[in-house]
Amino acid sequence: MIKHIFKLIWNKKGANFLVLLEIFLAFLVLFAVLSFVFYNLDRLSNPLGFEIENRKYVLFGDLEEMDSLTRVQSLDLMKRSLEDLDLVEQVAFSNDVRPFGGSNYCHGNDDMGYHIEACYGVVDHNFIETNGMNIIAGRGFLEEDVTAAFEPIIPNKHFMDEFYPGQDMIDSIIQFQGEKQIIGVIEAYKYNGEFEESDNRALLLDRSEDDYVLTTAFLKLDPSADISFEEEISNTVQSVLKTSSFVIQDAPLLSKRANLETWIPMVALLSICAFLCINIALGLFGVLSYSISKRKGEVGLRRAIGASGSSIIQQFTMEIVLLASLAILAGILFAAQVPILDLIDVEDNIFYRGIIYAAIIILVVVTLCALYPSIQASRIHPATALHED
Amino acid sequence: MIELQNVNKVYRTKTIETTALNDINLSVPAGEFLSIMGPSGCGKSTLLNIIGLLDEPSNGSVNIAGTSVTSYNGKKIASFRNEKLGFIFQSFHLIPDLSVVDNVELPLLYRKVGSKQRRMMAEAALESVGLKNRMSHYPNQLSGGQKQRVAIARAIVGNPDIILADEPTGNLDSVMGNEVMDILTGLNSNNNTTIVMVTHDENMAKKTHKLMRLYDGAQVK
Ligand SMILES: Nc1ncnc2c1ncn2[C@@H]1O[C@H](COP(=O)(O)OP(=O)(O)OP(=O)(O)O)[C@@H](O)[C@H]1O
Ligand SMILES: [Mg+2]
Repeated sequence: MIKHIFKLIWNKKGANFLVLLEIFLAFLVLFAVLSFVFYNLDRLSNPLGFEIENRKYVLFGDLEEMDSLTRVQSLDLMKRSLEDLDLVEQVAFSNDVRPFGGSNYCHGNDDMGYHIEACYGVVDHNFIETNGMNIIAGRGFLEEDVTAAFEPIIPNKHFMDEFYPGQDMIDSIIQFQGEKQIIGVIEAYKYNGEFEESDNRALLLDRSEDDYVLTTAFLKLDPSADISFEEEISNTVQSVLKTSSFVIQDAPLLSKRANLETWIPMVALLSICAFLCINIALGLFGVLSYSISKRKGEVGLRRAIGASGSSIIQQFTMEIVLLASLAILAGILFAAQVPILDLIDVEDNIFYRGIIYAAIIILVVVTLCALYPSIQASRIHPATALHED
Repeated sequence: MIELQNVNKVYRTKTIETTALNDINLSVPAGEFLSIMGPSGCGKSTLLNIIGLLDEPSNGSVNIAGTSVTSYNGKKIASFRNEKLGFIFQSFHLIPDLSVVDNVELPLLYRKVGSKQRRMMAEAALESVGLKNRMSHYPNQLSGGQKQRVAIARAIVGNPDIILADEPTGNLDSVMGNEVMDILTGLNSNNNTTIVMVTHDENMAKKTHKLMRLYDGAQVK
């Protein structure tokens, strides 16, 4: 039967070509969009590495005009004053490289024949705990690390997996902006947001003697703190810094905004795809209804010579499903070049999933569109069908 | 071979009720060649469709090849038609997208005969209607007479007990009509195939064993 149907398709290749082309193009578009979506969803499923609920960030900028002693004293005062507020549970500081801040400091150098490269943030010893970060090996920063012999560094898991896979590097000294001692490993630190690709990250401890400048305060608040509490924070910071040139940000809001930047194009593309699928469905539906109505005589004849109603449904549905399969096969030949030739530097299985899901969606749409006209055809009374034309 | 008893067929539409067949009793023994004549609209095609199990009588009983037919749906009736009956139509009803030999193979396809066997049987059927050299042509490359001979090949390829022909020569000139008629009479006498043929042509009817006349859905005695 399949061979018979291929014959019917082949002998109508003129009429079938446009349908084939349409399905082929739809497959490629669907493949591209689904791959993009899978790529983003994969990144979304990687841990963010820090908590955002009940967190506020105070951006006070660099206090460069202060000499380093006054700066240390001001920060200390700010910390204590903020901690004194009822609803503040913890306070920490970091430099400009902060969650959703958009700043990036990266460094690369050679270490024992390896090229080590990572982007890093500079933080105080409370940062990891205040932001609820997950330490998966070793320990976090301690206050005494500020004066320890070696500057400590806490890389993320990605960093360790890439440069020291399978090695226990806790307490080892590595070259990263000079000698640094690895004291612990954090799970992740996707400071650009949920959709950031996992990459090498490290936290360095602010030791004041250097030119690192802390510019941001992180507050972990009691869950009962509401928007009005921002004013108290604001007053406190203002009284310490004697200026109002600082900004208070709400971490969940920042995260939501960052996520929207990816969700919006993704939803837009998916909507276009849904629209495309509906268009194809309607188009196919029309073409099929028309062509089957033109083939009433054939339906009657087939019924007369031994086709049951269900074999009529089967035949007409199979015709279009086989045609779609040919189009999809051609589409796969193209789409598969992307991972095979490594045209885009993304994990291959994203594209393979894109191919599989695009194929399934198209086959389902096509089958549904074919089913109804085919069932209609099977309901045509054979005597009536033979009578016409 | 064919037994109809008190068969009526009434078509109901919203506005009118047409009695297409009125109390038809018919008995065709195996090996008989029966022709049916009558003016247009008298119910000839309707009768043939009822014998061919393509249409259900409003009442009365139908018995074909020893089987009393009660259900008109499903796979059973389809395979019964496939095995016992061959159809020939005035307008040929060849599938334009299939070659001659593929058209002839069609009934065997529904019988799930293997492809080699199918090809062999189709070739033999085409040979018997003198069209073996046109196997890979398409219907639109054939003359009317050739098309009807392909349709006959398709009707006989599965060796049916009964052939039902609805004005098989209606679209053909007399030369081609006679060719087709000769094939049918040959089938009837050589293979003992029972044939029921609707015709408008007295000359064709004369070549058959028996003639039945219909007028306004009723038998003319
Ligand atoms: N599906 C139908 N619905 C309603 N009426 C029908 C239907 N099929 C046939 N008829 C009516 O039944 C009657 C018999 O029709 P039938 O086709 O059997 O005539 P016929 O003898 O074959 O005529 P012709 O010589 O023109 O082919 C006609 O009056 C026709 O209008
Ligand atoms: Mg008729």
